[in-house]
Parts: sequence; C-alpha cells; structure tokens
Amino acid sequence: MSNTLKPYLNAVKATLTAALCLENFASQLVERHNKPEVEAGSTKEVLLNSVVISRNENEKVLIEPSINSVRVSIKIKQADEIEQILCHKFTRFLMLRAENFVILRKKPIEGYSISFLITNFHTEQMFKHKLVDFIIQFMEEVDKEISEMKLSLNARARIVAEEYLKQFSG
Amino acid sequence: MNLPPVVIDNGTGYTKMGFAGLKNHPQFVIPTVIGTREGNADRGNNLASKRGIEDLNFYIGDEAIANSKTYSLNYPIRHGQVENWDLMEKFYQASIFQYLKCEPEDHLFLLTEPPLNQPENREYLAEIMFESFGVKGMYIAVQAMLALAASWKKSERSNWTLTGTVIDSGDGVTHVIPLAEGYVIGSSIKHIPIAGRDITYFVQQLLRERENSIPPEESMEVAKRIKEMYSYTCNDIVKEFKKYDAEPSKWFKEYIGQHSVTKKEYKVDVGYERFLGPEIFFNPEISNSDFTTPISTVVDDVIQSCPIDTRRGLYRNIVLSGGSTMFKDFGKRLQRDIKRVVDARIQRSIELTKKVLKTDADIQSNAIEVNVISHKRQRYAVWYGGNILSTTEAFPKHCHTKAEYDEIGPSICRYNKVFGSVL
Amino acid sequence: MILLEVHNKIIYEKIAQAFSSTDEKADNITEQLADLDGVIYHLTSSKKEGYVVLSISMNGYSQLVKFGADEVLRREYGPYIVEPESGYDFSICLNQQDLPATEEERDALYKKFSLLKRNLLAAPFEKAFIAQENKQTTEIMEVPYRDNESIYVFALQDHVTVIFSTEFKEDTDKIFGKVFLQEFADARRQPAVQTAPQVLFSKEPPLELRNLNTLRDSEDINYVTFVLFPRHYTEGPVREQTISNIPLFRDYLHYHIKCSKAYMHSRMRARVDSFLKVLNRAKPEVALDQIEKKTASGRTFRKFK
Repeated sequence: MSNTLKPYLNAVKATLTAALCLENFASQLVERHNKPEVEAGSTKEVLLNSVVISRNENEKVLIEPSINSVRVSIKIKQADEIEQILCHKFTRFLMLRAENFVILRKKPIEGYSISFLITNFHTEQMFKHKLVDFIIQFMEEVDKEISEMKLSLNARARIVAEEYLKQFSG
Repeated sequence: MNLPPVVIDNGTGYTKMGFAGLKNHPQFVIPTVIGTREGNADRGNNLASKRGIEDLNFYIGDEAIANSKTYSLNYPIRHGQVENWDLMEKFYQASIFQYLKCEPEDHLFLLTEPPLNQPENREYLAEIMFESFGVKGMYIAVQAMLALAASWKKSERSNWTLTGTVIDSGDGVTHVIPLAEGYVIGSSIKHIPIAGRDITYFVQQLLRERENSIPPEESMEVAKRIKEMYSYTCNDIVKEFKKYDAEPSKWFKEYIGQHSVTKKEYKVDVGYERFLGPEIFFNPEISNSDFTTPISTVVDDVIQSCPIDTRRGLYRNIVLSGGSTMFKDFGKRLQRDIKRVVDARIQRSIELTKKVLKTDADIQSNAIEVNVISHKRQRYAVWYGGNILSTTEAFPKHCHTKAEYDEIGPSICRYNKVFGSVL
Repeated sequence: MILLEVHNKIIYEKIAQAFSSTDEKADNITEQLADLDGVIYHLTSSKKEGYVVLSISMNGYSQLVKFGADEVLRREYGPYIVEPESGYDFSICLNQQDLPATEEERDALYKKFSLLKRNLLAAPFEKAFIAQENKQTTEIMEVPYRDNESIYVFALQDHVTVIFSTEFKEDTDKIFGKVFLQEFADARRQPAVQTAPQVLFSKEPPLELRNLNTLRDSEDINYVTFVLFPRHYTEGPVREQTISNIPLFRDYLHYHIKCSKAYMHSRMRARVDSFLKVLNRAKPEVALDQIEKKTASGRTFRKFK
C-alpha cells in the first residue's frame, strides 16, 4: 500500500515544481487589475492544461496552472463515513483559518477536499521549493492525522464504554 | 416550561456562572484556573502517542487549586482575553457538565467578552460552543454593557439606558469604559494599573511596618482579609487621621487570625489601613510613584475624549462594577471628586468667557449632572447584567442559533445585535 | 471527569450554604435551576425562618407517578414532602429544627435532597426489578423524559430490559454516536466487564417496542437496549447503583461525544500550528525583495514597483 505513496508524491512534486513557473501578469480585460488568471478564467490563452495525478479513485490531486497562478486541489482519502466526517471537520477547521495560511483557498474546488491557490506574488515572497515541500508534507500528514484521529476516536469510545459498564460488574 | 438560559462570565480572575432566573444569583463563582496533568498542556507533536482519555483528567476552579500538588495550574485567560483555547474548551466542558450539570443542546448561552475583543476570538468561541457542545443558541455580550444593565432599577423602566461610563475594577486591572447606546467607544477606553491586588499589597506593606505578630507566610492572606472586612473610603485623609488619633478605641479594630499550621492565634491591630487602602485609587502617589493620576481625573479624561454629544449622558451614568469597587462610600467619594473636576472646568470656562467678552455680566452655564451609581449587585455586576438580558423575552431572538451556524458558519458571531430598543 | 456525578452539585452546595451558620454569603435564595434531561428545580430558602424548599418539574412526571414514583418518593423523603408549588410537580421542604445533630447525618441529608431527580426516575426500575424477582412480567413502562427521547423499562421471565431511544441531531454526532454505541455493544469481550449487562443497539425499534403507538419515526433515532440479569439488581447497594447509573446512560453518551469533539478540536489546533510552522519555513527571514543585489562594480539593482 504505502509503496505507491512515494511515486505518487514524487509525481505531484515534479508537476507542481514545473507548474510553479509564474510571472506577473496584468489583466488583459480590466485596466489596472491583476487577478489570478486561473480563478478569473476569462483569458483562455494564459491558461495551461490542467493535470490530474491520481493514486486511486479516492485520492487524487488536480493541478491547474496558468501564467500567474496555480491552483492545487487535493482529494483526501476517505475510506468510510468516520473518515469522511473527520476529513470534513478538519478541512473546514483549516479553511476557517485560511487567513493565516496565505495560500489556502477558503473553498475547495468541487469534487476535492481542499484547494490551494499559489500566485506569482507568493512565489516572489517565498521560496518556491519550500512551498512545494509544504504541499507535499501537508498531503502526507493529513492522511496520517485523519487515521490517527479515527484510531483515537475508537480508543476513546472503547474506554468510555468500559468505564460505564465497569460500574455494573463491581 | 422553557429551560433557563445559561450565563457564563469568564473573567481573568474568577468565572461567574449560573442559570438565569428572575431572582437568581451566580450559582458558581470559581477561579478561572485549570489544573492539568504535567505535560498535558503543551503536547505539541507527540499527539500520536496519546490513545486514551487522559485529556479528561483535569480539574477546574477551587478543585484545581486544591490539587495543585499533582496537577499543574494554568490560567487560560490573561488580561480578559482568552489565551489558550484548548484549555478554555476544557474549562467550559467541566463548567457545563460537572458544575452546572446541564445538556447544552437544550439551553441558550450568554457569554461575555472584554471590550475591544477581536472578532476572531468570537469565532473561536462560536466554534467551541456550537461544534463541540452543540448549544441551542448563543449570544456574546460586551462585559461593560452588561455592567450597565445590572445597574438598572426594576421600578424605573423608563430610565433604562445603555449610555454610561463603566468603572470595572477587579483583581488585576481597572478599566474605564464609555458606552453610547450600547456601543463601546473603543478609542476612549483607559486602564488604571491599580486594582484589588495592589490594595492588598499596600495594606500588607503597612501592616508589615507596624505589626510583627503576623506570620510572614500568611501576611498576604491576612492583608486580603483585612481589606475585605474593614476597609472603607473616607472623605479627607487628614481629618480621618485626626479622628483616629482622638478616639483610637472607637476606630481601631482588632483582627484575630489563626496560624494555619500551628493553630496558634494571633492578634493584629487594624488602624489607618482601613481607609488608606482604598485611598490609593484617589491618591495613587501614596503607594506607587509611576502612576499618579487619581481615578476621578482618569474618568474625566475618558469622558472628555468622547464625542461631545454623548458626554452629558456619560457623566450622568457612571456605573461601578467588580469587587474592588465594593468599599463603603466608594461611589460617593468618586462622585464628589469628579464633580469637583467638572465644576472647576466650568468655572474656568466662565471666567475665560468673561475675559474674552470683556464683561462682568453674570454668565451662567448649565450644570453638568454627575452621578456615580452604586448598587447591591456590583460585585458580580456583569453576571447580573447577563441575567437580566437573558431573562427578557427578546433574548432568544437575539441569539445566534445552531441552525444559523450550520448554515453560515462561525462568522455569524462576529456581530451580535445590541440590546437596546427592544427592552 | 469520566463518569457524570449522580447528584446535583448546585442543590447540594446551596442547601449546605443555607444552613451553615458561618457562611456569610448565605442569604435568602430564590433560584430557578436546571438539570440534565430538562429537569427544572425551584429552590427557595429563608435564613430567618430557617427553611429550604426544593421543587422539581420534569417531563414525564405523570407517567412516573403511574409506575409508583409516589411510593418511592414517600419512602425517601417522607417527612419532608409538602404541597407542590404551583408550576412544579413535587416539592420537599427542610426545616432548620429538623436537622440531624451530627455533621455527617446532615451532609447525608443534603446529599439526599440533591438526588431528587435520581429518586424520581427510580420508580419504574424498582417496579421492574421487584416484579422480575417474583418471576412476574410487567407491561412496557415508557418514560418520555426528554422531548423526543424515552426510556422503556419492562420485566420479562428471567431478566429486565431497558431500552433507550436517543436522537443525534447532527451528522457528526450520528457518526460518533455509532462508533461509541458499537463499542458499548462489543465491550463485553473485555475481561474486565464480562459480567456487565449486554448492550445492543439498532436503528430499528426492537421487536418488543414495535407495537407501541408512541414511537416516533425518524432517521436520527437510535435504540439502545440493556439486558439486565438478576445479578445486576440484587437488592441492596448493587441495585441502588444500577438505578443511579442506568438513567444517566444517555447523558453519559452525549457527554463523551462532546468531549471527543473537544479533543478533536485540540488535536486540530495543534496540527494547524505545525502546518503553519512548515509554511512559514518557506518565507525567507529577510523578504526576498529587500535583499540588495550588487553588480561587480558596486551598483545596486532595485526592484521597480
């Protein structure tokens, strides 16, 4: 299982590094505006082909590059309804704090759990390779965190049930 | 019958909580402190190793202090602001389930916030209340506003106003907060670095100079007891000193303490510190050389810095709140001192006007009404104010409901409707 | 705190305060209080006349009376019972002169007052336990103690069955609740609790309840069945313990679901912090556009903005 993780992450890393080749680009439609073109979507010629890297049907990454911005959307593994609800809770929690995360989008793209938007301004102020590292580390840890949360939920439930029932076998 | 709303006022020092009811008092007043097992507070990255329910092993309030040998104490609120939301969440958990014993899904909650609280903090609070506890509805009220509401008299409903100046003095710090129609005038808030603890220190220092019977390890506690039991505010220190010297037997009191270990009794004479303690509000220079502005001047400055059309209302309704305003005649003295400052200014402006107009004609100015309002519920004024508001019929309509939260998210709590016209 | 306390802390403290001679805080009290499961208390005391009156109002009181609540209450509070205050179902009154002499006895009495809700709920359980001991069966006794939730108690030939219907209002609660209930059902595999009652849960109403016409048809309701055998209610402390604990099941479950959510929050907060740390590593200590770049001859470039 986990031996497919490495090539998956490597593929994301390579694609993302390639996509993060951004330059300042003023809007061609509105004077003195500078918008992430991937979000605006109004100038077709600066949008590049988007790429989906998929590990299996539950886990995939969508990378949508454009001349001045890249949108990265991640679908996090959700094997059952517990993971689903935990994932939902966790991504929501993160997105509520999007202000602090700078590159985090407050809403995910449809069909994905969480989205990031990286613009040329971000790459100018931050190290590009570290940004890529962040995304990769995020992907690694989010899975880990959710499965740990699930485990601890089960563990708690077991202790709670035991403690309650112990009262009767005293 | 509807279940009563829950009112929780989390202060830096004490948390006041209870169910709302027409004649209710706060059912629990406990220190805002939480005792967790060593190392629980900053788990950091070794979360992975935790597979149990150690996070339920904690105490709050007096129980935490009683267990401070085996549990490390943490104060989740500093300077009125929540610093550690993890601990705060646990604190609420124990408050609701262990102390108040209620099912949060069935109750409305009224919570308080300090003036100039960040909207983010409101969101975090909403997140805890709605997501963890699933409360039916909640309202976040500004503490100062509640303190104003607490001063309302039941009989004089027409006089209920949300314009006024609140002097909130607890253990750590004293705030002077002006409000106009329920809105805090944030730019004019002033802090005074003198509060309950400073008075205690000052009394302790006075006692230390004179009394040698007090065991040193208990001098703080003794000073606190003496402050609470015997202190009052006087009109004039010089006269007061004379009064004491003329009739010591009448004015000097005796405090009998008991040593906590040896159980030996000791006597302490209580003298001038009875009026000197509270005096540091009015003449701060007697204890502190860094801050020398008397409280009356601070209040006057605050009101003078407010928009001109609100000032009369602010002078008319100066409300006291918090334990350190409980000294006998504190309100009267404050009112007199503020009045003096105000009258002096009016007098000066009359004289200046005369000079400018070059006339000796009699110029009259409308006197400014200065009222300092003391009342019985002053000590827990914020809680009582919350109690009053949450027992009004309009309260449920002001709450943010669970349904709204689920629909929109925590951002709904950034804004809380001001109670006002509805009352 | 893992287990919920059975007694009501506020009532216990307030009564003790009202009668303590040293407590200067003790004033006349008139308070309206609430407890778990929609119970409302009204507590009044007068320092001068030296009495405390405690009234309770509760959902499903009329049903409880049918199952013999009156007798249980008379047994527990006999001499203290007074006419119920208007708006309340049941009142008890304690006078200063009736206080027992010793500290411990007084404390026990205060404790007893604070257990009013527990004793009120005890009736159907006692009835079922006694019936079963005499090898009789009882009808299904339904206590609608919350708006949409009920306890059903009935005795069969060889055991007593207690069924809870409990509602989960939120998606997260539903899923967390399922995890918890599954563990309750599986817990008997643990050696420590092998003698505990068997627990079953289902979305469908259990067979025994199918014929009741008071059942609410809703997706969000779960049914939890406890099968109690005589060893769980042998007369004496064991039975009392069981009667105290069983009715708290619903609150215990919901309390721990909430605690788990609080725990998840604290985990997520820690995780957010660690992610932020990683992201901040991407920011150079000196902003990139402020670094001065020089050519060999010493001229500098400045970014044109």
